[in-house]
Amino acid sequence: MVTPLDIIKKKRAEAVSRIIGKGYLSTKRVYVGMATCEIAAGSDEVMRVFRDAISKGGLTDVYLSQKGCVGRCNLEPTVEIIESGKNPVRYGLITPEKAQDIIDRHLKKGEVITEWVID
Amino acid sequence: MNEEYITIYINDKKYKVKPDQTIMQAADACGYHIPRLCYHPKLSIEGACRVCIVEVEGQRNYVASCAFPVSDQMRIQTNTPQLRRARRDIIELIIDNHPEDCHTCERDGNCELQRLASSVGIRARHFDGPRKQYEIDLSSTSVIRDPDKCILCGRCVRMCSQIQQVHNLTQAHRGFGTVVMPAYNMPMSESVCTKCGQCINVCPTASFLEKNYTQELFQKLNDPDLVKVVQFAPSVRAAIGEAFGIGAGRNMEGELVAALKKLGFDYVFDTQFSADLTIMEEASEFLERVHNNDKLPMITSCSSAWMKCMEQFYPDLIENISTCKSPMSMQGAMAKSYFAGKIDVEPKKILSVAVMCCTAKKYEAARPELEFNGMRGVDIVVTTREIAWMIKSAGIDFVNIQAEGFDNPIGLSSGAGTIFGVTGGVMEAAIRTAYELSTGQTLVDIEVEGVRGLKGIKEGSITMEGQEIRVAVAHGLGNANKLLDIVRKEPDRYHFVEIMGCPGGCIGGGGQPYPGVNSIPMDENMLAARAEALYSSDRKKTIRRSHENPSIQQIYKDFLGRPLSKKSHELLHTHYKKKLPKGIVPEAAKI
Amino acid sequence: MGKEYVVTLCEGPSCIHKGSRRLRQLLEKKLEKHGIAGKVRTFLSGCLGMCAKGPIMVINPGYVIYGGVTVDDVDEIVEQHLIKDNPVARLTVKESHLYNRFFRVFGDAKFFGKQMRIALRNCGIIDPESIEDYLSLRGYEALAKVLTDMTPEDVIEELKKSGLRGRGGAGFPTGLKWQFTRAAESDEKYVICNADEGDPGAFMDRSAIEGDPHTVIEGMAIGAYAIGANKGYMYIRAEYPLAIERIQKAIDDAKKHGILGDNILGSDFSFDVEIKLGAGAFVCGEETALIHSIEGYRGMPRPRPPYPSVKGLFDKPTLINNVETWANIPVVIIDGGDWFSKVGVGKSNGTKVFAVAGRIVNTGLVEVPMGTTLREIIYDICGGIPGNKKFKAVQTGGPSGGCLPEDFLDTSIDYESLAEVGSIMGSGGMIVIDEDSCMVQMAEFFLEFTQSESCGKCTPCREGTKRMLEILTRISKGKGQDGDIEKLERLGHMIQKASLCGLGQSAPNPVLSTLKNFRDEYKEHIYNSKCRAGQCKAMLSYLITDNCIGCGACLRACPVDAITGNKKEKHLINQDICIKCGKCYEVCKFDAVAKS
Repeated sequence: MVTPLDIIKKKRAEAVSRIIGKGYLSTKRVYVGMATCEIAAGSDEVMRVFRDAISKGGLTDVYLSQKGCVGRCNLEPTVEIIESGKNPVRYGLITPEKAQDIIDRHLKKGEVITEWVID
Repeated sequence: MNEEYITIYINDKKYKVKPDQTIMQAADACGYHIPRLCYHPKLSIEGACRVCIVEVEGQRNYVASCAFPVSDQMRIQTNTPQLRRARRDIIELIIDNHPEDCHTCERDGNCELQRLASSVGIRARHFDGPRKQYEIDLSSTSVIRDPDKCILCGRCVRMCSQIQQVHNLTQAHRGFGTVVMPAYNMPMSESVCTKCGQCINVCPTASFLEKNYTQELFQKLNDPDLVKVVQFAPSVRAAIGEAFGIGAGRNMEGELVAALKKLGFDYVFDTQFSADLTIMEEASEFLERVHNNDKLPMITSCSSAWMKCMEQFYPDLIENISTCKSPMSMQGAMAKSYFAGKIDVEPKKILSVAVMCCTAKKYEAARPELEFNGMRGVDIVVTTREIAWMIKSAGIDFVNIQAEGFDNPIGLSSGAGTIFGVTGGVMEAAIRTAYELSTGQTLVDIEVEGVRGLKGIKEGSITMEGQEIRVAVAHGLGNANKLLDIVRKEPDRYHFVEIMGCPGGCIGGGGQPYPGVNSIPMDENMLAARAEALYSSDRKKTIRRSHENPSIQQIYKDFLGRPLSKKSHELLHTHYKKKLPKGIVPEAAKI
Repeated sequence: MGKEYVVTLCEGPSCIHKGSRRLRQLLEKKLEKHGIAGKVRTFLSGCLGMCAKGPIMVINPGYVIYGGVTVDDVDEIVEQHLIKDNPVARLTVKESHLYNRFFRVFGDAKFFGKQMRIALRNCGIIDPESIEDYLSLRGYEALAKVLTDMTPEDVIEELKKSGLRGRGGAGFPTGLKWQFTRAAESDEKYVICNADEGDPGAFMDRSAIEGDPHTVIEGMAIGAYAIGANKGYMYIRAEYPLAIERIQKAIDDAKKHGILGDNILGSDFSFDVEIKLGAGAFVCGEETALIHSIEGYRGMPRPRPPYPSVKGLFDKPTLINNVETWANIPVVIIDGGDWFSKVGVGKSNGTKVFAVAGRIVNTGLVEVPMGTTLREIIYDICGGIPGNKKFKAVQTGGPSGGCLPEDFLDTSIDYESLAEVGSIMGSGGMIVIDEDSCMVQMAEFFLEFTQSESCGKCTPCREGTKRMLEILTRISKGKGQDGDIEKLERLGHMIQKASLCGLGQSAPNPVLSTLKNFRDEYKEHIYNSKCRAGQCKAMLSYLITDNCIGCGACLRACPVDAITGNKKEKHLINQDICIKCGKCYEVCKFDAVAKS
């Protein structure tokens, strides 16, 4: 008999493969905080910069996702970049201009912009 | 467990009490009257005023005894110094936000808040500050709303929504700015208020009052050009004694006639006479509907609050409503036509006054639909409370007064007219007459028990000419609501339905005397005593059927011809129309 | 050396079996030996879902995951990674699937190091609008587990074992509440999620729903299964449009997946959630008022008993918990009541989310294990007071919590300890107050809020808080009278003990606690006309000192022409005209305007 647990495990496997299908295993994953507090601080504009860069700017091999609030209210908007084999980097107080810099310097050239990093 | 009784301790004394009751109920049974304010036995538990707080061992805070259930081995303290102080502080807070105008207040001497303050010993003010200041709403013909006097016990709100289900009153705004008002702060005149006045009955202070016409009446009573004619309703005589400290249930008919004469009325007539007249018309109308296969069930139209309620919430039932005016309005019409002719006075010279147990009658008297020949049938309506005050104010010794009889020709009544004042009375009176009109035989067993008593909805049936006539009775608009929902769903279930707007019928009207010390407004025993005053009066009468009333026979012979004649229709019948007031119209009117 | 680390050890049954507990003991011993115990925090997590590769050890910052760690590896990990910052490559687990569990956030070690995330475990980590993200993190597994092999009684038993208590403020044992609601006989029952978050400055519920809406739904579904309900209401304040949007999307997505609706996941359990919007009344956070509001009535509390578990929504037995409580449920089920009960202290198990605001460097949302001290939150996690100002007080529990002075900073955060010192856990507001704030004004501010949000039903709350506020306002205006303190206390204690609901019962807390802990400040206001924080304008005067060089800046800035003086000469403030707006103080570049 198929139990609810069997069904949910199947759903999980499907979900994982779909997430991977969306490019999760790309070399770089970018998370932009998109809760009300983050949006109020301007994160939707930051998100737009990343989206545009992917759709128009030729930014490839990047998995972009939104995330909820992690609790660092005074540093919002936050952007988190996870690269396989490297320390995750979390940027705070990001503006659309800084987002563009992150794309140009960090995502394209691999340079961590230390002065914006939350440590 | 021996579940019959549990043990509790009140102020360290041991008592055996029934389980499944509140601390307050248990304390009452044990002889402790815990002070209370927002509590009312007929209404839901509000727990708002916090006057009835007690200490219960094991509870961190004081608990409201009106709401908290007793349990076995519970230890309750009702009178410790710290509790007394907290209770006093609470009542003081209420008083600190209440106008300091007791001497000029209409309820001076009759005010629950005054009594309460005195009983807990408030002798100084500790927390004086600004008080609420609102506009008094004088817009209604019947009910005045004075939010300054309101102490937010919520009784009126619960009465209006739970018993009457009119949902006119509600608390609005927050905190210190909370105020009881109709939806959207509509004036009472434009709201869904049915003018039943039950808010006045349950208000502990003077936040709700009837619109007072006593000064105007004193003025007019001194006008030598007017012929002053007065009528009073059955239930006024059953209750007015209470206003003079006479216990509920004494019929003060003759005393009231005498007092009204002393006040300066030229003629004192009986609304019970026109109650008989109403029965003649209404029973005939009913039989006509049955014979002609017209709209049934026929629904009575004597209660003015119900009239207002019906026009706004049940306009779909307008065709079911009897076209008969209420007894008061029939009496007014007879006074200004038949009687005016008899004494050869111009109708406009007649001042027609009605003393009613009701606040909505003030509204009814002003309804343009009830006018005839460009005149109102009744010029001034005063309540039982108002007339009692006038009698006192005029220095008339009501308690020791010598009883007198009604004037004629519209003063004689049958027992059927008497019981109009009690829920089910109209139905019973109508059956007595309709049976004879339709079968030609006299109904022997005339006390129709099925429609008596204070049950919310009552049903009964009687066989006439081989046909079963099913009847139903509801009193209080909440019960009416329930009954009419049945009528809407099952239009064929009943032939005849009686609706009275107030709990208990007219005896529980919104204009009846305020409760005395230690009694509760709308108390069931008090209502039963008032009802019994009318039923016993019926039993004592030799004429107990409306059509046997010789004055009624005379008026048809001399003046009206027969029931439902053209003249009857001109003077005794009316019409209704859909009236949706502003503000929120409850679910019931969504048609 | 000097880097701080957080080492997370998996304590799932499989990892325990493979020796994770021994690993932890050994690790702690080694840390001690190397003198780095203060820099490295060890931390146990529930099952991380990588059982095949256990025991699992995660080291942050760096988000390095070690698998198959044995006792022989501990020395190398300590010496290489924790001392030399050189991860041990041979032990790292390759990223073959999604590791988005809550330990990921510990990269930000200063802020997150002392935190532990259970309710917020997915917040800020997953895409809240993606049910796939949630499913990938064992989302809805707890529900499936419950439906597969747990009876409702098992669920309640597990919950009782966990020791979880209501996170809405009162701290009633959740398992008991569920048991009562299950025991109540009725043809119909309801579950309600209370998301009517109204405390000023608090946003725990909003963040939780916006960051991880499915968790709340899963919790509610488990609750419904346990008590025998088929219908749930999410009562959320209308001022949270994004949270509403996300919870609605989550409900819709869950329905599409057969996780809500009829016959959930092929079982015979059916459950649906409906969103009800609150209309902005603070008191609707009180459960009976909330129930009235859902029923369509004015949101006013009613006396309890009967409790909602017996007579709740539409007079049916109703299980009502707040967002954070619901969010804990799936973890209790998956990781087990035993594991959960080991987090926390005393009778307070698990974690608590706080929204920290006020005079604090890192304002934000933190989730800490019960037993963490106020000092740890304020100084370690949130970075202390900005501008080298002195700490004065912290107020816990929202507008009706108590204000605790420095002496209480080492109070453990749990229901009992906070109550003992005269404050409350509340729903998780935490406001830090520094020396620049006047405690009379603070009390006035909070009381102003609660008294204006009183529903107006019961006398003590409606009338009493108003009179208290009048007295406070009088004091802060410099018109305090002898006897005012005693009146405040008399009223305050009466309101606490006699009010109908929690709003009234707790409304006097800020006043009574400041009266207790900062009584001198009140006395100074009343008897010496002095506000030591310089906040009460009525008691404040601005003076120009000898530092004045007569530049005229203050003279030009003064909106009421209260300042006179010739150029290059010392200026003067006419105290009769001065409105104490402070403009002169702000514009003076020579420190020549003094407040007194």
